[in-house]
Amino acid sequence: MTTRAEFLSGLRREMAKTRGLFEARTAERPPDADLVFETVKRQMAERWPQALERFQAEFERVAGVFHRVVRAIAREKQASRVLSWHPDALGLDLRQSLGGEGLSVTLAPDDDPDGEARRLHREAAAEAEIGVTGTDWALAETGTLILVSGRGRPRSTSLLPTTHVAVFDRHQLLESLEQVGSMLEALHADPARRMSGAVINFITGPSRTADIELTLTRGVHGPKGVHAIFVEGR
Amino acid sequence: MSETQLRTPFPQRAHAALGDAHLQEALTIATTKFIGLRKESFAGYPAGEALRDRARAIKEATLQRLDQHLERLADNIERLGGHVHWAATGDEARDIILRLCRDRGVRMAVKSKSMATEEIDLNEALEAAGVKPVETDLGEYIIQLAHEKPSHIIAPAIHKTKGQVADLFSKELGGRFEADPEVLTAVARKELRQKFLEADMGITGANFAVAETGTIVLVTNEGNGRMVTSLPRIHVAVMGMEKVIPTMTDLMIFLSILARSATGQKLSSYTTLVRGPRQPGEVEGPEELHLILMDNGRMRQVAGTLREALYCLRCGACLNVCPVYRQIGGHAYGYTYPGPIGILLTAMLEGTGAVKDLAHASSLCGACKDVCPVRIDIPRMLVELREQVDREKIAPWGERMLFGLARRAMASSALFRLGARLGRLAQRPFVRNGRLQGLPFFFGQWTRTRDLPPVAARTFSERWKDLERP
Repeated sequence: MTTRAEFLSGLRREMAKTRGLFEARTAERPPDADLVFETVKRQMAERWPQALERFQAEFERVAGVFHRVVRAIAREKQASRVLSWHPDALGLDLRQSLGGEGLSVTLAPDDDPDGEARRLHREAAAEAEIGVTGTDWALAETGTLILVSGRGRPRSTSLLPTTHVAVFDRHQLLESLEQVGSMLEALHADPARRMSGAVINFITGPSRTADIELTLTRGVHGPKGVHAIFVEGR
Repeated sequence: MSETQLRTPFPQRAHAALGDAHLQEALTIATTKFIGLRKESFAGYPAGEALRDRARAIKEATLQRLDQHLERLADNIERLGGHVHWAATGDEARDIILRLCRDRGVRMAVKSKSMATEEIDLNEALEAAGVKPVETDLGEYIIQLAHEKPSHIIAPAIHKTKGQVADLFSKELGGRFEADPEVLTAVARKELRQKFLEADMGITGANFAVAETGTIVLVTNEGNGRMVTSLPRIHVAVMGMEKVIPTMTDLMIFLSILARSATGQKLSSYTTLVRGPRQPGEVEGPEELHLILMDNGRMRQVAGTLREALYCLRCGACLNVCPVYRQIGGHAYGYTYPGPIGILLTAMLEGTGAVKDLAHASSLCGACKDVCPVRIDIPRMLVELREQVDREKIAPWGERMLFGLARRAMASSALFRLGARLGRLAQRPFVRNGRLQGLPFFFGQWTRTRDLPPVAARTFSERWKDLERP
């Protein structure tokens, strides 16, 4: 087997042979991740209404369904099984708002789950018709929902159910991929903001394919529908 | 590609593709559609051109410090609890995966679309070892059931009609399914959902890996990349060593042009950033994460003629615009990577000998370079490959001798004039209606499908002399 040292010394031998290369630089990173984080936050505190408008337009362009709900979440159509991020991660307890309306609501655990808890959660996730998640950033430029996994915020809530409902408010709005880059730099740089989970998903519309005769079809493996709910006044 | 098909010479494979009316139609529709989508997407994105330049510079800058970036990536992945493996060859990469399967009692592996695993014929090796590989990208699933190979980097089954897919599903999965993409997709969803839940291992490629954070990045539209990295207990990612990029800031620049180039989307439906195995407190995700960093012929090109091909993002844009690919499709190329960039990658992985014919399967029109998101100069490298094929005496003796003569004639004005005079005489029997047609011997290859302009009655310098006289 090739070892790391062998692999890298082989590479260095080849690299040493290169000559006459043009000067090239990687992208300039924000010098101070914290400062950029605060600047973006400040900018967006003023510019969020325009960003929201743009988000809605782009989100609908990628077949998302946009809702505006004051204080409460609109109840989804005829589904009966709802899986939700843990209330601490979502900022809402769906058992209170939906439980009385004939819907069964399962919450993701937020303690350290054991094998049995994992199995139960997977079963609930596989059967759920609606998965409700929070949103870490809503990117206006492309209508993209960005979700960070972690404690109480499973990665499959936005993947296994037929419908994904994401809740966000004005604090999560961003304008550009460039801003997302800065936020991700800050997220990885600052231990206080360090993510607890292993996965960050950029979700731009429902699961889709065009692999059969280039015919666009939704809901291949992931959700057939993605809904975003903007919570006002939060 | 089966052994028999590979033993068929390229001109015959290409000829067979040209005679396949259905393939011709499918290729025209697919490539035309992709070209339109890409064009529209960049037309509405004025920042795109400058971002392509920046992306190109990042790739070059990364190559200039590739050893450091790989070390950084490996350190970070290990810090997060993942394992890093170094593979000098495709064989070695395969062995690493097979050993993992054996040690961990893996019986089924679900795969998301990955050219790197195609490159090393992983599925065949897994099957031989008693592990069931299941492709989960819809297109890849279709061709796996049909025992074929992908014909396009991003649309692997464009050569199949919905009728063919319906027949295939009916036969392989039991049942009778309507030839309707909606129905067939639902069938695959149900079938594969079960596999995702049962599989022990998820195998992916990597579109990028961010050194600074130890993040593996997967871009998909169907969500299979997410399934494969969320449900099975082991995740293995196979990655060419050139896919590493330094930072998240760099990643955003690539994301802004990748999907636009491939499918005309601003972003694909899912961009998944994976940073280590399941972390404490998470209810899902793999217990183990393995990254295999693969050389397999890439390393010697760091200082080789194909260096720039190491910039490639595998978007497939150059395939769609290539007048040769548009006629013959992916299978005729005979190797994992088709199209203009595929010729370069085949030379990189298999050696120059593998592309002695393919190096000429290009009109050098430059359309590939125009659409490449990182502006890889594919035509330049194709010309260099042709030269290499000649220099390394891989080309047939007769061809080398002819080109040798042509080179000498063009380097001396006396010989050139003599050649023109001889040509004018020799061509007489073959000029009809002012065009050169039906040449004898192997020259006939040139005139079989097209006419050539004849050698002019008077050379340019003879006419120039006339013009100079007042």
